Amino acid sequence: MSGGQAPEDRFPTFRVLAQAPAWDAATRELVLSRVRPPHPPVYLNGHEFATATALVGQLLDLDDELAAHLAASIDHRLTEDETDGWHYDDMPVDHDVWRQVLAGLDDDARQRNGTTFVELPAAEQHALLHALHTSQDERWHDLNRGHTWDLLLRYTCTAYYAHPAAWDEMGWPGPAYPRGYKNIGIDAREPFEQEDRVPSADPTKDRDDE
Amino acid sequence: MRYRDVRKRNESAWLLPADHRRTNQALREGMRTFGDDDEVDLVVVGCGAGGSTLMQRLARHGWRIVGIDAGPFWDPEADWVSDEAGSHKLYWTEPRTIGGGDPVPLGSNNSGRGVGGSMIHYAGYAPRFHPSDFKELTNEGVGADWPIDYADLQPYYEAIEEELPVAGQPWPWGVPHRYPQSPHPVGGNGEVFQRGALAAGIEARVGPVAISNGRFGHRSHCIYRGFCLQGCKVNAKASPLITHLPDAIEHGVEIRPDTMVSRIGFDERTGLATGVHYLRNGREHFQKARMVAVAGYSIETPRLLLNSANDRFPNGMLNDFDLVGRYLMVQGAPQTAARFDSEIRMYKAPPPEVSTEQFYETDPSKPYKRGFSIQTVSPLPITWAEHVAAQGHWGRELRERMSDYVHWACLGALCEFLPLAENRITLSEEKDRHGLPVAHMSYSQCDNDKMLVDAATTVMSEILSAAGGTDVITIKRYAHLVGGARMGATERDGVVDRECRAFAVPNIVIPDGSVFPTQGSANPALSIMANAARVADALATRPMPSATEVPAGAAA
Repeated sequence: MSGGQAPEDRFPTFRVLAQAPAWDAATRELVLSRVRPPHPPVYLNGHEFATATALVGQLLDLDDELAAHLAASIDHRLTEDETDGWHYDDMPVDHDVWRQVLAGLDDDARQRNGTTFVELPAAEQHALLHALHTSQDERWHDLNRGHTWDLLLRYTCTAYYAHPAAWDEMGWPGPAYPRGYKNIGIDAREPFEQEDRVPSADPTKDRDDE
Repeated sequence: MRYRDVRKRNESAWLLPADHRRTNQALREGMRTFGDDDEVDLVVVGCGAGGSTLMQRLARHGWRIVGIDAGPFWDPEADWVSDEAGSHKLYWTEPRTIGGGDPVPLGSNNSGRGVGGSMIHYAGYAPRFHPSDFKELTNEGVGADWPIDYADLQPYYEAIEEELPVAGQPWPWGVPHRYPQSPHPVGGNGEVFQRGALAAGIEARVGPVAISNGRFGHRSHCIYRGFCLQGCKVNAKASPLITHLPDAIEHGVEIRPDTMVSRIGFDERTGLATGVHYLRNGREHFQKARMVAVAGYSIETPRLLLNSANDRFPNGMLNDFDLVGRYLMVQGAPQTAARFDSEIRMYKAPPPEVSTEQFYETDPSKPYKRGFSIQTVSPLPITWAEHVAAQGHWGRELRERMSDYVHWACLGALCEFLPLAENRITLSEEKDRHGLPVAHMSYSQCDNDKMLVDAATTVMSEILSAAGGTDVITIKRYAHLVGGARMGATERDGVVDRECRAFAVPNIVIPDGSVFPTQGSANPALSIMANAARVADALATRPMPSATEVPAGAAA
């Protein structure tokens, strides 16, 4: 299914957290809090949280432990009503959308296999989400389908690309204060940056024959 | 630029500590305070670009001023982080709803919250408008005319450019001018723009950015860490928090943060505003004032006016002619990216580096009016994920493309969307945590708007391809806000007059971006500050409306 360069191969020994001593205190405390064991969910109940974990794992192809970490950070946002400051006027508020989505995934799973979403085999979960993503219908259950997909992916990417594990596979050194950068420009690197091992492995090219 | 002259009229940069503490705590702790019953000369709602500049100028004329802001009084060292997700609190994340044919996402895109306003998280581009922006209706049959000209703003542009200060190459577009500071060195993304523009025969320049290139007062040099949109912990990038408020406080202004203004007070007998009702720590207060400045920007300014309806103004304060909230504008801001085998690492150096205004003016050979500018933008990972997800990717495919991040360069356009009456702020059924109706923003593009977005996307693709980029991708998005309470020649054209005083209530002034009738394809911050400085000069010369100026209807 995947023809691209595995994300782990580009910067295999790059570890952002090794640079943590060079960061300012406020930023270091924040970033380190993201790799500590997460708090138990507050807004989502146990089953909803398990469903959210499976959903997040599928949306970014992540293992359960990391997916649960991200689901916990999403739960925290929903508990605190930490939205992006807007919602479409044809959509409920964000925390209601999430609850409806998690119930809707179970409805879809029951129709497909007679089980909950969490109980579906991974490949079936993927197929179900693929159907949701590519459907031509404007609605999905009681929600605007396109707006719902965008919201789920936005929350999930915000959680993952705030996590040092994501920065490692991108070769992005993360926080940069008070150190800053001295070597700017094309193909210029700092001593703490690492070269891409497979610079010509263009993931867009690899899919042309798909 | 002579630093001595700048310091003489605005000492802000010299009132900051010269070390890593970034904030002058003693200045804040010793700040003058006023009681609710002190009738101050001016209460300002919103401490962003417009409100802060107005306060700094009028404080130096001896005005007694309280500035109120819904958000925190930031301390860059303690409150801000070198991190994308952790900077969420810089944006207006109180609820708002969006709709229309082309709904515009808000929050991190265009809305700030806290003392310093949206300039805390703007990129730092500080271009001027062009003279053509002020007479579009007369000269080109689109948009609107301003009741002022470029010449009215020019001296204030020059003054504010020195106070921020702005760095960049000599500017050949609009009215050609130079900048007080020399251009910054550019990173990989800026190099791509320069190389591609040269190959494509397009003129580009470094700047103009309001990021100090060198030490300025006690502010530090930029460290090129690329987190301009997350609040500058270095104090290198300009925002009113460091460019105008220290001097304002030194001259007796009180800043009242974490305070939500709910309604403007109004006396039907005199036809004048009496002050503002506000909520602080869960309690209601009323600050008496001789004059009220509404500077909440293009969403919160109309919202406050609409939430201030009374017997005299049943449809919202100043809304006799159904103009409040209308003619709201965003700029079409598509971003186009391309891949290079080289490592671009666009996250290094400030996102605002290089820009062109070659396409700013109407090109008679094109089917559309007005134009666009193109600038470097350098999305950090979370924002870059939006670009990748917008192409329809998710799962492993999305992560593979994200891991290719160091190879991508990204440009952004600002397309001049035209002012349309139906693009507007109204009150939603939904309430915020204070029980106040939230803003609903409706937005739809006209054909001209859509043609500009397509044209700008084509030019960006040409530049990136000419630089050697492949796999070009584009995300359609929006940037900036202006309009919603525009200035006009008469009360039927605008909510406020050329001095930004309300036609209907002469002691209400609106010194923010909501008064702009058009927007060009320039980032608005510099123009908002320059206009506020101009408004302040007018107020200082003619502080109170005379009795004859009180509208006749008000006394009835």
